[in-house]
Amino acid sequence: MKLTRRDLLAWTAGATAGALLTPVPWKILGDASIWTQNWPWIPQPARGPVEVQQSNCTLCPNGCGMRVRMAVGWAVGVSGSKNHPVTHGGLCPLGFAAHQLNWHPQRLRTVRHENAASSWSAAQTAFEKACSEGPVVFIDGYPERAASEVMQSFAKKHNGSYRVLPTPEVQALAAYETWSGVPAHSLGYDLENAQTIVSFGAPLLEGWGIPGRFTRLWAESAGVADPPVRLIQIEPSSSRTSARAWRWIKAPSDANGALAAGLARVLIEERLVAANGPLPATSLEETATRTGLSTDAIRDLAHTIAAKQPALVIANAQDPNIAALNVVLGAIGTHGGIIRRSKADKPYVRAGDLVGSARAVVIDASVPWAFVPETGAEVFRFAAWNDGFKKANWLLPAPGFLEELTDVPSAPTSAVETYAVATPLMKAPPEIQSLPQFLVGIDSELPPVGKLIEERCDELFRRHEGDLHTLAGKEATVAPVSFFDSVQKLKEQLWKGAVWTGALSHSNSLRCSLKEWPSSDAAQLAAEPSSRCGIPISPPLASKLHEESALFETPTGRQA
Amino acid sequence: MNARYGMVIDIDRCIGCGSCMIACSAENNVPSLPQATPRTGLTPILVRHVSNGSDGTARREVFFPILCMHCEHDTPCVHVCPQQAVEVDKATGIVMQMPQRCLGCRYCMTACPYHARYFNWWDPAWPAGMEKSLNPGVAVRMRGMVEKCNLCHARLHSAKEKAAADGKREIDPRDYIPACVEACPTGAIQFGNLADREDPVSQSAQSPEAFRLLARLGTEPKIYYKSKEAWVRELAESKSSQPAGVSHG
Repeated sequence: MKLTRRDLLAWTAGATAGALLTPVPWKILGDASIWTQNWPWIPQPARGPVEVQQSNCTLCPNGCGMRVRMAVGWAVGVSGSKNHPVTHGGLCPLGFAAHQLNWHPQRLRTVRHENAASSWSAAQTAFEKACSEGPVVFIDGYPERAASEVMQSFAKKHNGSYRVLPTPEVQALAAYETWSGVPAHSLGYDLENAQTIVSFGAPLLEGWGIPGRFTRLWAESAGVADPPVRLIQIEPSSSRTSARAWRWIKAPSDANGALAAGLARVLIEERLVAANGPLPATSLEETATRTGLSTDAIRDLAHTIAAKQPALVIANAQDPNIAALNVVLGAIGTHGGIIRRSKADKPYVRAGDLVGSARAVVIDASVPWAFVPETGAEVFRFAAWNDGFKKANWLLPAPGFLEELTDVPSAPTSAVETYAVATPLMKAPPEIQSLPQFLVGIDSELPPVGKLIEERCDELFRRHEGDLHTLAGKEATVAPVSFFDSVQKLKEQLWKGAVWTGALSHSNSLRCSLKEWPSSDAAQLAAEPSSRCGIPISPPLASKLHEESALFETPTGRQA
Repeated sequence: MNARYGMVIDIDRCIGCGSCMIACSAENNVPSLPQATPRTGLTPILVRHVSNGSDGTARREVFFPILCMHCEHDTPCVHVCPQQAVEVDKATGIVMQMPQRCLGCRYCMTACPYHARYFNWWDPAWPAGMEKSLNPGVAVRMRGMVEKCNLCHARLHSAKEKAAADGKREIDPRDYIPACVEACPTGAIQFGNLADREDPVSQSAQSPEAFRLLARLGTEPKIYYKSKEAWVRELAESKSSQPAGVSHG
């Protein structure tokens, strides 16, 4: 039989058509599609059982309750803890990617001195030398922790000083500290009981205070024509808060103090509130000129504020005029006003740009990078992430997200006292040391953080006050501390992520005596440095908000 | 009875914080793409910023989280896919995207009236070590294919496994909540079974304030929105491809 070209073509066509009727080409195609999904350079997630751990965020002083999903010893997901008594499942947007921060390209893993590799022993020698030559100033961005106590003890013992960089929320409370003698850090906002909230530029829906607290309250009345909580936003330009407020008053921010004075004048003169303060010197016409609003609009705003009490005024920064408006409204130490959260009676010395004649400045990892002291002193900066060398002589690698045992005291704006513990859920890289560990290494008489936390738990047990919110599982349980028959059981729950809360106090232990209306010059105190609560460095997934969408403008400076 | 999973997003409650976008990406192992632009990014849920076009204090602004609408009827992406890489799951109503089958032709992107599909332009990459933080329940997808929201299908799998381990046929609804729903700080995104008349989400979808985007196309999206503001509801039926006041957010 002779094979012709025509036969060959017919055979090829038949073989091709026949092959398509068999599973072989389809199987090859399917397998190829799977193989091409699994190139060696494509990262593969770790395989292993996933378990959920309850914990508390330690990245900023708000201490949000979080559920951390763990696999093979690493956190693989973070979500808010719905049962948390204060944060109610709220986390800041970047907190949802906080578990990725420990592998951030800017993670600081080794000791650096003047932009060169160094060692802990060299840092210790330099620090000991500095301590022997002059005073050392400690700067803390997250006071009230056990770690803060270690810093204070060291400073006291070695002739140093301890200073705190307040958040803007705490800084805005400074006037009440002056007038009442109660430290600003022990004051809080009783947002839950206020019915009118007047915000002078405070970014209430954009990252003010505890994530999830105000947003939850606001959401309950969102879109309602006459909401149970009225949010009045006074701001010069459109923002997320002004866009979603019940009423937006467009006024320049440098006229906030004048507007507060004008509103107070109307409230007092027209007897809209029980007169609780001196009459401002600023006339209504003067206020109208400064703010660009008509006198009728100012009068109408004052009537609106007085119509639904309790009314609470919130400032974005320290401004005694705005604080005085709260005094006029009777929102001090009362239901729905500014209240005293804790019994602390000693104010902190605030960290300013100038640190005086210090020989060395030690900055804790809780202080945001934006804070740079103007000083000729040697700067030892603890940080989990490296944001540049010009800001410190020594960069000392500190534990990252959930890599150390620490405690979580009350958040700056909270109305109730809270206490929680965050245990190390992930292994820290070698060569990592926190500031308290460093100090205990130098002075072994100082108590370690773990011991102090245990002592604080013992104290909670002795006080027999408040409740413990156990958050693990789907249902939260709340038990009074007196329910626990041993301190060990209380500690066990706290170590598992439970939160202790004190009682909400309207005991009128906060009184502000305002003899005369604050002078307009006092408003200039707002220039003091402060630290906006927030995650210390953006996780790479922040690109979803900035580069991959236009939801937020790309931040200048630090990039993930 | 087959479920019909869907959402009701309360526009009046959305503050445009972006928590849903971050939580979605972390849950579904979507990489960060700093080289991307809003046109080339990978955002299975994207919050868009919309205004009523007015100026001054009369200006109203809202945020629209846009994700795959999980169209029930005549699903456009299913019709055009030459690879059968897209299908509507009969048991759940979820529009599933199978990365193994996707050729990356992008017909589905063209067909989708909601622009809720994204092409994966780059190899997925994370900084060294960060792969340890990836979700073990979700495989990382290659470049050259289309991605979209699958209502956190891995969570549905986990809920089913849990129910099976407990000897139950039905999942506990509390075990299956997509990441964006869980993350929303204002509770603007509600998730549930639209086929269950007792489900609060199903009832909310029937409220007079509820609406669907481009409902006139007849694709029966399972993502509902609701708002008390009339201009927002009118915007949803806009016949213009880029109405005034809409910014790509």
